[in-house]
Amino acid sequence: MSAASAQPVAIAARIRTSWTARSRQERLVYRLLVPVFGTVFVIAMIPFVLAVIQAVTSDAGTFVGGDNFAKALRNPLLYESIKQTAIYAAIALPTEILVGLGIALLVHRVIRSNALRAAIYVAAMIPIVIPQIAVGVVFRLVYAPDYGILNVLLGQTGPNQPLWLSNPVLAMVATASVDIWQWTPFVYLILFAGLQTVPHESVEAAQVDGAGGWTQFRHIELPYLRPLLLLVVFFRIADVLRVFDHVYVLTGGGPGTTTQFFSLYLYRIGFKFSDLGQAAALAVIVMVTMSLFYTLISRFLPTEQR
Amino acid sequence: MRRSRPAVRIATAAILVGVGFIFIFPLYYLIATSLKTKADLFAAVPSIVPVDPTIQPYVSVLFERGFGGLLFNSIVTGLSATALAIALAFAICYPITRLPASPRLRGFVLNWALSLRFLPPVAVVIPYFAIVRTIGLYDQLPALVLVYTIFNLPLAIWMLRGFLDEIPLEIEEAALVDGASRWYAFRMILLPLSRTAILAVAIIVFAFDWAEFLFAFILTATPKAMTFPVGVQGLVTQFEIIWNDMAAGGVIAIMIPLALMLIARRHVMTGLTFGVIREK
Repeated sequence: MSAASAQPVAIAARIRTSWTARSRQERLVYRLLVPVFGTVFVIAMIPFVLAVIQAVTSDAGTFVGGDNFAKALRNPLLYESIKQTAIYAAIALPTEILVGLGIALLVHRVIRSNALRAAIYVAAMIPIVIPQIAVGVVFRLVYAPDYGILNVLLGQTGPNQPLWLSNPVLAMVATASVDIWQWTPFVYLILFAGLQTVPHESVEAAQVDGAGGWTQFRHIELPYLRPLLLLVVFFRIADVLRVFDHVYVLTGGGPGTTTQFFSLYLYRIGFKFSDLGQAAALAVIVMVTMSLFYTLISRFLPTEQR
Repeated sequence: MRRSRPAVRIATAAILVGVGFIFIFPLYYLIATSLKTKADLFAAVPSIVPVDPTIQPYVSVLFERGFGGLLFNSIVTGLSATALAIALAFAICYPITRLPASPRLRGFVLNWALSLRFLPPVAVVIPYFAIVRTIGLYDQLPALVLVYTIFNLPLAIWMLRGFLDEIPLEIEEAALVDGASRWYAFRMILLPLSRTAILAVAIIVFAFDWAEFLFAFILTATPKAMTFPVGVQGLVTQFEIIWNDMAAGGVIAIMIPLALMLIARRHVMTGLTFGVIREK
């Protein structure tokens, strides 16, 4: 046999071995992934299935169909809690984003010292890493009547002092301000990191062309920040639905139901009124809503999912 | 880049100092209160600086009130759940980062993990409560370990995935070509190279476990299994608040995650944003 005809055979053999090697590796992917991921997936999914089962059965275990859902949706306190959660979000989120963005731009444009930037970076991380229960304790010491430091600093310690935690309007402001205190630095850190990715050349070119601070932000920096702003909004909306710890410690949902945000409401239905059926129905509604919300918005997130 | 005018720099400094004060002062007052004596609590107007600083509130919280036991529960639960989450995350991330997994499979695993992040825990705690009671783990630490492992696994998967993607495949492949087994390449090459990554993920996950309140609050009932945050909450919501003890509890709850986060500061934001913000 001539060398000329042997060569393609050898190449074909090599291709075949590399092909079988690849498919063997692909099989290995499944052999390694399926047992662990499968188990985790099933365990993590049990609560979802169980919530549905709890929602359509009574405590005695009989099938009640949509009764719990009807009861959950008929409860006027549900809409009250959604309204209060929306107000909380409407106070906290825009403040966090505007202040976070403002400080990020300020530090980015004015502060050149790396040491100072690093110091601000570490300082900004402090509120974020504090457990929410402890944040509640911190602000109890700020807002409490008679002992809270805020009224002392305001010189309002008499009988007419503002009751930050038991006046309906002030309680909303107080709980939202805690959110702002804890999460504005988070927004700052994300947006500041985003500003670092804006190429110096574009900024300098714009400045040579005489662009002012606003034009520079609007046309050069904002496009780089847009995906991160979306991420911030997405994370913060999800977080507002889980707000529980600091409010539980500060107001317990009061006065009345003015700070009974969604998570506190669900907790109250399930564990204070012991209506686990209704609570499970609410849980299913949240799970479905959040899954839809996630499906709709996740592809716009800047996370690399591949 | 042009330098800013002095007026701008002074205004910036003023704003940053003002904002810094708003952020730091509440924490300062927490620490100051935790060092106050009982007598100090009855002053007509609370003092900003403790008159006669004492560590008595810490002794009171940890020993007289028995919160030392809760601290122990928190640490044991946190360490176990962290170790489990990391082992599982490694087992899940290895095939999707080191082997030719299809982009669809990889996308499915990561997307699923991320989607769990957006569920309010209060929705999940209702079925968990039923499960834990049914299998007889109510008011026991293993229940918390299980729930914390599952709940922080998405974070562990995403962080670890980010780190593993950065370790070049060639190093392991060179060993495989030289005839090493995959297990050997994993143990002798990948694992040592991932040591920093594992430590960073462990610190972040532990800090999250440590701070968790809702699950512990609902799934435990006695000091036998209660965690530290549940105890701190008890100090605040009882009828008469003992301010200095409450503040001392708060300070202890803060110290541990704060110390850990300072060690892993380059990875905190990566963890919190699921890898969108990379370390600088």
